[in-house]
Order: sequence, then C-alpha cells, then structure tokens
Amino acid sequence: MSEIKNVNECRGKMDKNIKKYVLKTNEKIDVLKILNDLDKYKPRRKGWTWRKKLPKGTLVGPFTYNQISENLENSQPLPAAHYFKNIDPQPDCIITSEIASGRFEDDIRRFRMAAYHGADHIMVIRTTGQSHFDGLIEGTPEGVGGVPITRKQVRASRKALDLIENEVGRPINFHSYVSGVAGPEIAVLFNEEGVNGAHQDPQYNILYRGINMFRSYVDAAEAKKIMANAKMLQIDGAHNANATAKEAWKVMPELLVQHSINCAFSIKAGMPQNLIALSTVPPTSAPAPCIKIDLPYAVALRDFFEDFIFRAQMNTRYMESCTREVTVSHTLNALISRLTSAHLQSTITPDEGRNVPWHYNSIHGVNTAKQSLIALDDIKELIEIKDEGILKEKVREIKERAILFLEEILKVGGYFEAVEKGFFVDSGCYPERANDGIIRYKEGGVAAGTIIRRDKDYFAPVCCHFGYNNLSLAQEITGKKIVDKDIEKESEDIEKGKKIKESKNMGEINNKVCDLIDGCTLCVHGKISYIDELDEIDNVNVRLKENKEYRLGRKVKPEVQWAGDGVIVLSMFLPTGERTSHFASLEIARNLGLKETEVIHKQIMHPAEGTYVEVKGVVPFSIDLEEVRMPEIIPNLEPEYVEKIVREKNLKVVAATVGEDEHSVGMREILDIKNKGIEKFGFKCYYLGTSIPIEKVIDAAIEVDAKIILISTIITHGEIHRINMRRLNQLAIEKGIRDKVILIAGGTQIKDKMAKEEGMDTGFGRGTKGIDVASFIIRKITE
Amino acid sequence: MQREDDFKIRRKNIKDLSDEKLKERFWDLANKVVEPMIEMAKEYTSPSIERSVLLRMSFNSLQAKAIVNKCLELDILGKGAGHIVLRLAKEENIPYKEAGEKLASGELIEKVKRIFKIKA
Repeated sequence: MSEIKNVNECRGKMDKNIKKYVLKTNEKIDVLKILNDLDKYKPRRKGWTWRKKLPKGTLVGPFTYNQISENLENSQPLPAAHYFKNIDPQPDCIITSEIASGRFEDDIRRFRMAAYHGADHIMVIRTTGQSHFDGLIEGTPEGVGGVPITRKQVRASRKALDLIENEVGRPINFHSYVSGVAGPEIAVLFNEEGVNGAHQDPQYNILYRGINMFRSYVDAAEAKKIMANAKMLQIDGAHNANATAKEAWKVMPELLVQHSINCAFSIKAGMPQNLIALSTVPPTSAPAPCIKIDLPYAVALRDFFEDFIFRAQMNTRYMESCTREVTVSHTLNALISRLTSAHLQSTITPDEGRNVPWHYNSIHGVNTAKQSLIALDDIKELIEIKDEGILKEKVREIKERAILFLEEILKVGGYFEAVEKGFFVDSGCYPERANDGIIRYKEGGVAAGTIIRRDKDYFAPVCCHFGYNNLSLAQEITGKKIVDKDIEKESEDIEKGKKIKESKNMGEINNKVCDLIDGCTLCVHGKISYIDELDEIDNVNVRLKENKEYRLGRKVKPEVQWAGDGVIVLSMFLPTGERTSHFASLEIARNLGLKETEVIHKQIMHPAEGTYVEVKGVVPFSIDLEEVRMPEIIPNLEPEYVEKIVREKNLKVVAATVGEDEHSVGMREILDIKNKGIEKFGFKCYYLGTSIPIEKVIDAAIEVDAKIILISTIITHGEIHRINMRRLNQLAIEKGIRDKVILIAGGTQIKDKMAKEEGMDTGFGRGTKGIDVASFIIRKITE
Repeated sequence: MQREDDFKIRRKNIKDLSDEKLKERFWDLANKVVEPMIEMAKEYTSPSIERSVLLRMSFNSLQAKAIVNKCLELDILGKGAGHIVLRLAKEENIPYKEAGEKLASGELIEKVKRIFKIKA
C-alpha cells in the first residue's frame, strides 16, 4: 500500500473498494451501506498523513495567513465567517476530535460532523474495561464511554472515514488505543485495518490500568514494532499524570521523565522519531496564573524533545461543569500551542466535566481549536518569548529537576524499583516528595507472572516481530529461505549462540520473514481471517432495528449522543439560592413533561439573588416529520426582471435608521451597490442617515415622491422598535400617503409577523439580502 | 516517602552544565533507564505476543486464543506458538493452517507432546 499524497489519489482506490458509494452533503450517511461487503473491504492506505501546508502569505478571502493548510472542499466555517466572505481557513496543524458514544453507528455520524468542521484526527475512545480483556473482542457490541475495539467496528469506521474524507476533501487520520493486556494483538489489528495512529505507552498500563509492569514492557516492544511498520503515529500517555496528580502543576519534572522513558524505549523498539508524539497538556488553569506556569514547561519540553512530534492536548484536570469556563481554558491552551509549537492540536469537549461528551459539544471543541489557532496565526512574528529572566530560569529549573529524577531512578535500581517506591504521580515537585504517588509491584497487577522466557529454539515466522527469533531453525523446519541479508546474519548469530544486542535489523522494518509462511497478514491483506458477529443480541443489526425510524428520518427526537436518545437541555435563571434553584429547576423540567431529569450545571449569580441552572431531560415524544408545518419559501425574482420593472416605473426609496439609533451597517448592506444592495437594480435611493425622526422620513418620501420607505430599527429596549413601526404607519395615514407607499422595516430583532402587526407591509430580520427586499417590492407593486 | 524540596542542594553537580550538556545528560540517563526493559522484551514473550503472531499467520482471534491456551497448558509457549504450529504441520505433513485449527479444537495434543518431549 502506498502513502497517500492527497485525497484525489485515494478516490480512485476508493471506487474499487466500496463500489462508488459517494456521500452527498444533503443526505445522511447510510450505516447499512457501510456494513455491506465489509468482509471484503481493504483500507486504501496505511500510516499517518499530515495536512498540506500552504506557503506563508497565502491569501484566503481578504486576508493573508502564514500558518494555514489547504482549504477543505466542503466544510462549515466559523459562525462569524459570513462577515468575511464565508472563508474557512484551516490551521497548519492536525485537529483532533475525541469520539466516545459507545456505538460505532453513532460514532460515524459524529466523525462526519467533526470532519465537516475541520477535524482530521478522529480518536475513538475504547469501552471501559477493554484494557483488562486478554485477547481481541469481535462483532459490534455496545460499549460504555467508548466502543469495544473490534475488527468489525474498526473496519466499518475506517470505511466511513474514507467516504467522509472524500466529502470534505482532506485525508482523515483514524486513531485508537494499543494498550491493555492485548497490546500486540490490537497493534496487528490496527496495522491490518489501516488505523493511522494510536496511544501506546506501557507506563499508562502500569500506573493507571494496574497491569503488571513486566508484561506491559514486553508487550510494548512488540506492539511498537508492529505500529512502526504501518507508519502509525504513536502518542504517549504522560498527560495522564496531569489529569491524576492532586496538584497537577507540580508533576512537570516527572512529565519530562515519563516522556523520555517512552521515547527512548520506542526508538529502541524500532520507531522512528517522526512517528513518536508526546502527549502534552498545559498543566494549570485559572485562577492559577496559568500562562506563567504552563509556558516555561512547554518551552522546556520542546527544548529537550525537539526532534519529536508534539500533540498538544487541552487541560482536563480542572474542568468543571461550566462550558464557558472550559472554553476559555482551552483557548489559552491553544495560545500556548501557538507561542511554542504543536503538530497536532487535540480537543476536549467542553462538557466532559459534566457528562459523556455530547456530539455538538465535540464540534464546539473542534471549533475552539480552529478559531483560536486561526486567530493566533503567526503570533510569533509579532511577539517573541524572552530568552532571559524568569522564563529562562524556570525552563532550566524544570529540566534540572527532571534530570535529578532520572538519576534517582537509576540510583534505586531502575524503573521497576522506582515504580515500587511510588516515584510516579507524586504531587511533590521533584525532588520534593508528597508520598502520594501511585505504587505498583513487580509481582503484582493484572496479568502478573505471564511473561515467558524464550527458549533457544524459539521463533515466530512473521514480520515485525521484536527480539530473539531463531530464524535458522524456522528455515530448517519450513524448508524455505529468507532472502534478507540482515535477517540471515541475525539468524546465524543466534545459531552461534551470540547475543543479539544492537542488530541492525532489530530496530528496522522488514517484510521478509513471512516468506517462511508465504506472506503474513501485514503484507498480504487477503490472509486476514474476518469474524463478523459473535453475539446474537448485542450487535449493530439489533440496534439499527430499534431506532430505525429516527435513522431514516421519518421521525425526529432531539439527541446528544445516540439516534433518538431524546435528550434536551433547559437553561434557566431562578431568583433563588443554589439549593432551592437545584430542586425548583427539576420541578420545572418535570412539569414540562421531561423524563430522567438531572441538573448538569449550576452557577451562583449571587447567594441571595439567584442561580443559573442547566437541566437535562428526555423528551417523551417524537415528531412525525410529515406533520411538521413550515412556512412556504417564496423564491426571489430574477435580478433582470427586477431591474426591468424598477427602470420602467422609476422607483424611488427613502431609507433611514430611525429613532435614537446609530446603527448604519444593516441598512447600507441592503442599499449599497457594492454590497449587492438594491441600488444595483436601479432603485434611486435617498439614504437619510441614522437617528432620524419618523416625521423626517415621511416628509422626505413626500418631497421626492418615493414609493418605498425602508426603516432600520435595531434597538429594542422598551419595545422602541415596535413603537417606531407603529408611528411610521400612523404618520403615513395622517399625511394621506399610506395607500401610495410600501412600508418596510428591518433589523436584527424584526420578524415579518411582528412588522405586519405594527402596520408595515413586511419586516426583514438578520441575514436579509438586497434581492430579498427588491423581490418583495416588485411583487407588491405588480400584484 | 515524604521529602522536603532539596533541589538547591541536589542540583550542585549539574547547575554549571551548559544547556547542550544538560540535554545530553538527560538523554543518556533516559537511555540507561530503558536499557533493562528493552533487554527483557528481547528475551521474553507473552500470551498476547504469541496470539499476535498467530493472527499474522492468518488465524482468527478465537483460534489464536485457543492455540495459545493449549501451549500454556503444555508449558511450551517459550518455543513460540508459530513454531509449534509449523512443527506440527511438518510432522503431520499438513498445511499449517490445518494444523493450527486442529490444535485449537483440541486435536493432536498427544502429537505435540511427543514432538516437544513433554512428559505425562
């Protein structure tokens, strides 16, 4: 399989693979089509793909950028983009979205939404407990907090991502976890199925999953070599110390140590530096003076690990239920990324502090990264990090503390001994020790006592096998020769009883050993044995039947995670104290008919004056889409026709922003020729300006004999917008011109119905274009 | 172990190192720390590694698990699950896939015992 250069290269391969199923942007992704012929699906590529960076000074819309990559073909820009010609510039670094619905058929819809907003690294979280599962899981069982990683789910997800990358026009990296007690098997599965990146760090197994340390390291070397063969990007697990330590900012020296252990071990296991990523998180959040702490740490890390890849993750340690607070923290995290460097900017959903990540919040997370990174484009051209003073002192101090940490590991007898002595995730700032570190024992943990010394006649006849391998015996038994010279040499050395220490081949990738068995599954995809389902009840087919009507779009329910889950959120302010607000809000939700109500966020505005509360609940009904009533869309008239009538009738318009109101932008958008306003159709426009009294507007219309009056009224305080419209109508009647003029009001809060109530012919709200207004006028005049 | 921050005392041997030397020292130490782990990984195997070998030999996950469990019962996993399957195939003169499948379903156990000279 060749490396991908761009998405067009993939598309050719794609057609053969999935029989020309092309996603249409106005159609839902069809899970059944993804599942169809899955046993025959072959991934279109292996390995990690970076974004294609654009040269400095690239023009996108009206702006030049220095840190962007190629545009997407189909995407959703940031909400404010319509002020900037709808541009959607893509930052230079990869953006990650973590996906954790627990059902792969819902995961893939979230992949599509995330990619459409700019994510190109889809990180699928595993179900709780998979780390301790000794072997592979098969089929499509439902998971908790993530999906069970099985061949079928991985294959279906990769196939869906192939379609999605075609839709958005950018390769998407698929990622999950090579950890637990089945690491080597999962690494093989990922290599075979075209998974592009994975977490792999034995320290994570040991410290956070309680898996035996010897087993974790023996398995890790094999897993890493298999990952390297597929050019998968590896992400380490050091950031978990941030998320676990009682005082996360104090573990900075240890974080450097954890990164160094996984990096050094990975290189020795055969991984090139450019596939080894450090997972790093700014350790603190406000109200700590976080930039002052996080920035020196980020600089120290990048100094010591300059040739490695940086995956900048967002802080989870200090996340509470306030999504606003989290979004600010994560924006500051992106600032650290831009002030230093990041190859990948990962994202955390802003609701992770209160529930499992909901899909629209995943998208908010992606947008926080995209918005911040684009906003900070080339910030280092404007400001620079000082190379003196407190920053330099702090950087040096972190590095020295990390070195002292490594020295003491060796002094106590090595890594395993250090773990037994509770060196790691101690919340003292090393060499300070708080005596609250995680302790694990050599003979303890899950799968203790399961590693087995390889006998002299040990061999494994497959590619990417790490360590001692008696291939001369293998050749003898199979009667087949391996042609690779390095392998032959290694094989001879083993025969002569030489210890293989720094064999050239040990750390390199080869695809030759499997000649012994006429090809292994890493080299010959067709040799993979595919299992479809093992559980008759817990599988995707059963789930798809259960919520079929929601998937096919016949009925609709709100959702946050799964099709038809029915969950909505109510936001409310209650003028009562925190405790009363909590229970009163639940009563309100129940009175509204919601089921399974739960307060997910509350914030005191003032202990006596009131509390802001967010309550979630399940809607106990669904809406039949055929019964949804929507106002008819009246299409705009052809511009040429509008222009013909305007010129024939010599139509004049008097326009003004009325009352005490200085807003002029909206009206100019509607009028000005350069904004595609109505002037371009030949209307003669008399624009009176802002804060114009209603009387003056009517007088001007009479004076120039205008058939049309446009008023803009933005301010709504004290219902002034309604009063203005009412006054305009009354005055037109009093002056005897009401039946000769068309009265139109516009403004951000104006609705057609409301304008008509106040005597206008129509009203226009946010997003109105000149052609909308012109079409209405012409229809009215010619009716 | 609880310990006050004695950084200022401990750093005396490294405080005068240049930034470059500091970095060199950091990586020397890191490499020394992982050396025994990498040596252990070269000399040992595990049930997961052996199942991963069998997957690469085109067995499915259920077969891989069954074969490795048989090897563990016979205490011969140190020879390599792939080795055992290939050796059995040679002795029986059958394709190795067939040999592995038979072993997974509990057949040919006695044969394996004989080949690898397992008592009882």
